[in-house]
Amino acid sequence: MNRDTLDVDVLIVGGGPAGLSAALRLAQLQKQRGGDPVSVAVLEKARDAGAHILSGAILDPSALHELVPDFRQKGAPLVADVRRDRVYFFTEKNSLRFPVVPPPLRNHGNFIISLNAFVKWLAGSVEAEGIDVFAGFAGRDVLIEGDRVIGVRTGDRGVDKHGERKAAFEPGVDIRAKVTIFCDGVRGNLTKELLRRFQLGRGRQPEQFAIGIKELWEVQPDRVEAGTVIHSMGYPLRHDEFGGGFIYAMPEGRLSVGFVAGLDYQDPLFDPHMAFNRFKKHPFVAKLIDGGQMIRYGAKALPEGGWNTIPRPYMNGALIAGDAASFLNSMRLKGIHLAMRTGMLAAESAFDAVRSGDTSAAGLASYQEKIETSGVKTELYPVRNVHQAFGYGLFAGLAFAGVNLLTRGRWPEDLHGHPGHERMKTLTWYYGSKPASLAPSHALSADRRLTFDKLTNVHYSGTAHDEDQPSHLLVHTEVCGSICGAEYGHPCTRFCPANVYEIVHETTSGPRLQINASNCVHCKTCDIMDPYAVITWVPPEGGGGPQYNGM
Amino acid sequence: MILVIAEHRQGELNRATWETVVAAQLLAERLGGLPVNVAVPGATGSAAQELAAAGIGDVVTLVDPALEAYTPDAYVMALTGVVASMSPRFVVLPHTYQARDFVPALAARLNKPLITDVTAIAGTADAPTFLRPMFQGKLAAQVRPMGEPPCFVTFQLGAFRADQVKKSSTQSSVTNLAVTIARSAIRQVPEVPFQEAQRAVDLSQAARIVAVGRGIKSKEQLPVAESLAKALGAEIAASRPICDSGWLPMERQIGSSGQTVAPKLYLALGISGAIQHLVGMKGSRTIVAINKDADAPIFEVADYGIVGDLFEIVPAIVAELEKK
Amino acid sequence: MKIAVCIKQVPTREWQPRLRDDKTWIREQDVSYEMNEPDAYALEEALRLREKHGGEVVVCSAAPARVQQILREALARGADRALHVEDDALAAADACVTAGALAAAMAEEKFDLVLTGLQSDDQGHAQTGVILAERLGIPHSTIIMEVQVEDGRLRVKRELEGGWFQWIAMPLPALLTIQSGINQLRYATLKGIMAAKKKEIRTVPLAAGLQRTQQIVALAMPSRAKQTQMIGGAASEAAKELVRRLREEARVL
Repeated sequence: MNRDTLDVDVLIVGGGPAGLSAALRLAQLQKQRGGDPVSVAVLEKARDAGAHILSGAILDPSALHELVPDFRQKGAPLVADVRRDRVYFFTEKNSLRFPVVPPPLRNHGNFIISLNAFVKWLAGSVEAEGIDVFAGFAGRDVLIEGDRVIGVRTGDRGVDKHGERKAAFEPGVDIRAKVTIFCDGVRGNLTKELLRRFQLGRGRQPEQFAIGIKELWEVQPDRVEAGTVIHSMGYPLRHDEFGGGFIYAMPEGRLSVGFVAGLDYQDPLFDPHMAFNRFKKHPFVAKLIDGGQMIRYGAKALPEGGWNTIPRPYMNGALIAGDAASFLNSMRLKGIHLAMRTGMLAAESAFDAVRSGDTSAAGLASYQEKIETSGVKTELYPVRNVHQAFGYGLFAGLAFAGVNLLTRGRWPEDLHGHPGHERMKTLTWYYGSKPASLAPSHALSADRRLTFDKLTNVHYSGTAHDEDQPSHLLVHTEVCGSICGAEYGHPCTRFCPANVYEIVHETTSGPRLQINASNCVHCKTCDIMDPYAVITWVPPEGGGGPQYNGM
Repeated sequence: MILVIAEHRQGELNRATWETVVAAQLLAERLGGLPVNVAVPGATGSAAQELAAAGIGDVVTLVDPALEAYTPDAYVMALTGVVASMSPRFVVLPHTYQARDFVPALAARLNKPLITDVTAIAGTADAPTFLRPMFQGKLAAQVRPMGEPPCFVTFQLGAFRADQVKKSSTQSSVTNLAVTIARSAIRQVPEVPFQEAQRAVDLSQAARIVAVGRGIKSKEQLPVAESLAKALGAEIAASRPICDSGWLPMERQIGSSGQTVAPKLYLALGISGAIQHLVGMKGSRTIVAINKDADAPIFEVADYGIVGDLFEIVPAIVAELEKK
Repeated sequence: MKIAVCIKQVPTREWQPRLRDDKTWIREQDVSYEMNEPDAYALEEALRLREKHGGEVVVCSAAPARVQQILREALARGADRALHVEDDALAAADACVTAGALAAAMAEEKFDLVLTGLQSDDQGHAQTGVILAERLGIPHSTIIMEVQVEDGRLRVKRELEGGWFQWIAMPLPALLTIQSGINQLRYATLKGIMAAKKKEIRTVPLAAGLQRTQQIVALAMPSRAKQTQMIGGAASEAAKELVRRLREEARVL
């Protein structure tokens, strides 16, 4: 096969806030320091930068101030200044407002943004610096030589669903780089490979994740004043389930309505999408969105584990930044600024390493030092135990968070988390006996007004893939028919927010797993939460996936 | 006056021309009762006589050897003169492949508006407007022509019903209009049309479709639906799960990841009506849904709905159709 | 052969329509755009003709600045240069204005062959290509499924309705509107994307004096006036009643 190769100094995999900040910082360093140009390329699996990105989103502008000081003049799309914060505790029928907003949830000085629009804008700035942003190209494999990362191979294109080459077949390209910065996002498929190959998580705590589901609504503009930020905890989650709801109000009656559920729940019949629907039916939320129109939908996992779960982010020839390495403050529910910040720091280390000619792990270790001495650690270290404390339940978590604030994070011994998928219990353990129905717990049927079924929601995510390609969800399906049904009742059909997994009961044979891969919104939940860890998410043909315009 | 330009193949009028006559009559009425005339380019056979017999209005045939085999150049040249001399307020045609081939050039040569693919007529006598799909049918636009008449309009096939032509018992006159077309000015040289085996199933051309969904339960039950398709002379199609399971080939899939269709009759058997399916078929003229779940969203777009077991109802429909 | 391909940027297939407040055009802020599908096939056909007969492929578009996204894409796929008639008013222009704008910019280039898609997936007039041929004074043929070039003449296969086709011959220069599926599209490659950055996009202003010929008074989601009629009773009765109504009311049998 005639495979193209491309050589660059720094390859950035993933065109999100981390990757694009890294690219922009590299361009700035080049300008400041002069000398031989450092060549940079950015790979992005979405057809357009920003199309696969999803967040609430509230932006802490600290990193932006540093990266693009004149961001306002440059037209950064900041939808609204945060004007007021509200935090509620929900019971099934009522909502109790916290008299004082806990300090981590105070958003004065922050902005409500569409992360999709923000990333598009960042990508424009990067391209204006002459850096190639290759949109529609997914990193499929890490290229490794000995103990060194030497680049990335992009996915083949033009392969049919049986794995045969179509007429337009185009083999993936080997992009070789002195330094590769992996910014492939939460549960990035390449970072996952790096963690395994180089044991970057050794001595660290297991990663922790949650899934965020969000809809964009248009309601009457007088319902909530633009700039209002609302967070909820409690109902519909039980005390041993981590998560909560959010509503961010933008001008013209646009509401970002979302729900985050920890991917460490115990009930095998728990369905995050159902929890989201129940959240929307809560009287407090229902009265805000009733009569409005749902216009977009999306879902994405997020890393929740914090400081102690961050893997070693440097190795021979490579760095990891942003969500891929769990740089997210789950207490403040913010990660964009940390993604940007770590992307910038990674760029600085990469630039120095390329210039000095030492791009080994030793040459790149300055990245770790920069993280330790920057605001990243100042922000993340004190709250390192908070998410893990929620593992003991909501009230324990809240109590811990409160005490933690007083002690500024001092605590005799760090708390330990467990991989979320290992916490899922079997049906008989959780329910005492096997329940009669495998319907999601507390199922309610979609009313098509406030709540929708998953398939309808997927339609509003704009998701599209070439239908004639191999499934990009690699599943060891032998467990599905044999033990999974009896033990967990096929939880993939519930934790997937996009109806990718379906169990089809055919008259002739037993239950069969049908994978509707083209529904996939690339949230990575299945790769994280499957109790047997038999699902591997790999990128589909470049360009396929959701289209999160305005999200 | 409203001028209909008839379309025919070797003297045989197509159904779309009759639909256009209906649209013209409706438009004429809205404009306060204008006469409707018909022009038949390159008339041979019985086309002109047939139109005259219906008594719609004056029929003009354009005669020149150059019009015998269709070319856009000859049609544009012939009709430019005719339209200029007859001064109609509207010139209307069916939105066929042939009309798409020459009418834009004709209207452009005269610097007149052309509104295509029209599905309905609205507005007032002074300012009529035309409804046409935009953005692949996701939106309907109301469009107003600008500038001086005539305005050219093409009507979507099937948007008007050919059997609603208002005929008159008085035979209309037929006038032969000699047009002179310099053969040398015709740049296209057409060859004889030929038919080709369809490379793929083209459901978008089907007049009737019987579509099956999950309610069919297994591949072995497909003959139930196929017997109905046969009785109706319909194409068989399916929702996504059926094609995903390999029970029917992917080219028979209707919906956002398959084909978009708008047949005269769409029968949905055991299809719940996920939005991904609905976007592919909701433009169908008449939709029948048979489903055992009374809450299935398919009923929201259906004209006729039957709640029940398709394995009982479908054979009953087949029996009813075969009665005659 | 000097080939022009006219391309248009349209909302992606997955786009959910949102209307501007005045309801006469779409809300463009949240739209993501792509190359109109038939135009992509026209471009591919041009690239194949160039590979066979040599020459140059120039992509042309009359659109606001945002169209550079697909002009770059076309250059990445292999077009040699681009011609962009830029004006914000072209976003919602009718076919006459678009064709007039293109004709004014393209006339001096004296292309041997002009290809367009058969219609756009936005306004869908199915007129621009034919009007452009008229304005350029060259012959045209539409809905083309195969293109042959021999001795300075074209022989093209035109699709008629119902599975019928017809070969048409005509001299060059000429314009063809291309049907989707005429060929197999190629992917843009990394090398192509990099090479595209060095290719020329010439921007010219919109020619003066082009008159609109139609105006969108209102845009709306298609409404469905019909009420669903539920038919009850035992299977045989329901079947009988359905067939009766399909024959007598809907008249589709």
